[in-house]
Amino acid sequence: MDVNMLSYHETMSREGVVLYYNGPISQGVVEGVGDMMRRKMVLEENGMLLAQKVFSVLVEQMQNVICYARDICTPTACMGTGQIMVGRSGEQFYVACGNPVSRKREDRIRERIDTVNGMTREELKAYYKEQRRKGPDEDSCGAGLGFIEMARKASRPLQYRFDPIDDDTSFFAVKVHV
Amino acid sequence: MSSLKHLQVEATKSSPAIDFNPETHNLSLRGESYPENCSRFYAPVFDWLREYLSVSQNQPMTLEMEIVYFNSSSSKTFMDLFDMLDAAAQAGKSVCVRWRYDEENETALECGEEFQEDVQHINFELVSVAA
Repeated sequence: MDVNMLSYHETMSREGVVLYYNGPISQGVVEGVGDMMRRKMVLEENGMLLAQKVFSVLVEQMQNVICYARDICTPTACMGTGQIMVGRSGEQFYVACGNPVSRKREDRIRERIDTVNGMTREELKAYYKEQRRKGPDEDSCGAGLGFIEMARKASRPLQYRFDPIDDDTSFFAVKVHV
Repeated sequence: MSSLKHLQVEATKSSPAIDFNPETHNLSLRGESYPENCSRFYAPVFDWLREYLSVSQNQPMTLEMEIVYFNSSSSKTFMDLFDMLDAAAQAGKSVCVRWRYDEENETALECGEEFQEDVQHINFELVSVAA
C-alpha cells in the first residue's frame, strides 16, 4: 500500500485537526458529519453553546459548498466538492472549508465577508435582521444570511483567501474561529 | 370547516415534525430545521397556512415552535411565517406563538427573543423547557 495514511493522520493530529473531510458533499454529509461533530463535542463536555456554534458554522459552510459548487444537480438534490475541517487549539475551535468557485463570484464574496468583518456585535444583529426581511440576492441560493450568521458565531473576523486555479475558477477558503 | 386537511409530516434529521390541526387550531413545528432546499420544504406549510387563515376567520390559534437548531435559510422562512401571522393578528385574529427552548440552549432562547422583537401583533411567548 503506497498511501501513507499514518503520515496524514499524524500531521492532522499534530496540528490539532479534529475533523477533516475532502470530497463530495451532499445534504446527507451535512446531516451526518454535522450531527456527529455536535454529539462528540457534547460527549466531551465542551458545553452546549460551543457545540451548537461549531455545528451551526459547519452546516452553513457545507451548505454553501453544495450551493455554490453544484457539481452534480438533479431536480431533487445537489452535490458539491469541497473540504471541511474542524480544528482545536486549547479551548478554541475553528471551522474551515474550501471549495472551487467561479471567479465571477469572487468580488461578491469578498464584499460580503469584508462587510460583516467590519461590524460590531450589535451592528451584526441589526444587519442580520434587516437582511432576513429582504429577499436574497440574485446570486444567492439560500437566504443570503450565511456569512452574517458565521460572523455572529465567530470570536474573531472571518479569514478567507482565493487562489486562482484557472481562468474561470478560484479556490475559495474561509476559516471561522468560534 | 372547508376541506382543509390535518397537515402532518414526520421529522427527518434536518427537518421538523409538522402537525397543523385545523380542528383544534393548534399548529406545531418540532425538531431541527436545515433542509437542503428550505423554500421547497416549507412551501406546503405556507400553502396550508394561507388557506387556513382565509377559512378560520377569527378563531384563536396557537403555533408551537420547538426547534433545536435552524440554519440561516430557515431563519428567513420563519420570519416570513411570523410576518404572515402578524398580519392576521393585526387584522383581528388572536394569534399565539409559543417559542419553546431547552433551558440549556442559550442560542435557542436568543433566537426566540430576536423573533419576538420583530413581531408586533402576535402574542409571542418564550417558554423554557427543562432538558
